[in-house]
Amino acid sequence: MLCQNCGKNEATTHIKQIINGDMAESHLCSDCASHLGYKDVFSGFGLNLSEFFGGLLGDMTPSIPGGKTLRCAKCGSSFNDIAREGKVGCAECYRTFFDKLLPSIQRIHGKIKHSGKSSTGAPESVKVESTEEKIEKLKAAMNEAVQKQEFEEAAKIRDEIKALEGGEN
Amino acid sequence: MNKWYIEKGDQGDVVLSTRIRLARNLDEYPFPCRLDVDGKNKVNALIKSVLFENDANSFSYIEMKDLTRQQAVSLAERHLISPEFAAKKDGSAFVLSADEGVSIMLCEEDHIRLQVMKAGLALEEAYDIADKLDSVIDSKLKYAFDERIGYLTQCPTNLGTAMRASVMLHLPALTRCGQISRLANTVSKLGLTIRGAFGEGSHPGGDIYQISNQITLGITEETAIANLKSIVLQLVAQERAAAAETVKNPVEEDKIYRALGVLQNARLLSTDEFMELISTVRLGAARGVLDINIEKINELIVNMQPATVSVMHAGADTPSQRDAVRATAVREALA
Repeated sequence: MLCQNCGKNEATTHIKQIINGDMAESHLCSDCASHLGYKDVFSGFGLNLSEFFGGLLGDMTPSIPGGKTLRCAKCGSSFNDIAREGKVGCAECYRTFFDKLLPSIQRIHGKIKHSGKSSTGAPESVKVESTEEKIEKLKAAMNEAVQKQEFEEAAKIRDEIKALEGGEN
Repeated sequence: MNKWYIEKGDQGDVVLSTRIRLARNLDEYPFPCRLDVDGKNKVNALIKSVLFENDANSFSYIEMKDLTRQQAVSLAERHLISPEFAAKKDGSAFVLSADEGVSIMLCEEDHIRLQVMKAGLALEEAYDIADKLDSVIDSKLKYAFDERIGYLTQCPTNLGTAMRASVMLHLPALTRCGQISRLANTVSKLGLTIRGAFGEGSHPGGDIYQISNQITLGITEETAIANLKSIVLQLVAQERAAAAETVKNPVEEDKIYRALGVLQNARLLSTDEFMELISTVRLGAARGVLDINIEKINELIVNMQPATVSVMHAGADTPSQRDAVRATAVREALA
């Protein structure tokens, strides 16, 4: 859809407003949106949606070799679908495209580790640790071993870390 | 049963209301953006059955397709549903408690948008209610959840706790002395955001603002709430200090009495004019200049929004009809 204001650019900002009890919809490109004052109530702070979508789009480099598009097994979304719409399709999408989504997630929240309430329905066994997390845990264990002067144990952990780091490169 | 917004709340001179919103999705189904109407109805029925099995008496289930446009917009004006949700029809429904303090939107952006509203500043109490209801659903249905990034939501901005805590504040004195954008900047550095609560766009109607947490990943619910609460209390103190100075000024005092005079006598009142005047009157009432019950003013602010006026009064469908009905209702309330 093209921007309703300039009619030239793709509309990326979709605004639903209630004006005097009636619903009004406008579809604008990001330039017109900011020009017309549809940023935040206060300019220059916070995170506005079009910026965020833009941020996601920034990662949308065609990175699949061989031309075969990786799709989510459950809802059929490709990563490009998600980036274009700024909407993740289902829980499985997060598993399928985890590594690709992570930079955007980090940009939004600054952190990439959940803390707080946990769902009881998500069994621990389902969890797959990333290499990074494994290394982090091992490093903590190694430091602990050194503190306790259990150097043999520490050396063993160090070798494990080396193996993991080697595997990553 | 009294609606929640008629109750008097903590810090009620400045804080209008508190809202906690949790976003949840079922693991088994695609998120609403990838779900057709049949799929949405299936999800809605599942969640409804869990909620009604737990407590059949206090909830009602409302399908968006059964509402008129005005009814839907009125619900959005009362912050019971989101403006986006008000536009939805087939496959969207919500669950509402009798005092309208709990509303659960089904298949909005996420399968579940559970929100709890309380009068005044009541973040912990509201979270407690939301948390318990959430646990009820969690015990029966498998949520989309990942140990690393928390509750999985359609928009990555909500990952983690998927909790948005917001407090609605009336800040007439800080607005008048031009402090809001400075405060907004400071607050944004602390991971919070302030925006106008009514009349989205450039000018926040009625000097009413909503402050909420921005970050949801890597911060626990308790910490997010504690942060928000401490900032809100500081804003409340600043508003009180500024308001005490403001009402000492004879020019401002005059404005307060004039605003009341217009509200008590006008025959036509547009939403914008009403919001501007009621804000000034509320400032006077909150600082003891006027002897008017604050809860009565809060109720007027909710009930005088355009679609709500149309829904509550017969023959108030066009803007000019509404302006007349609004003026009459305000006159009677402030007589």
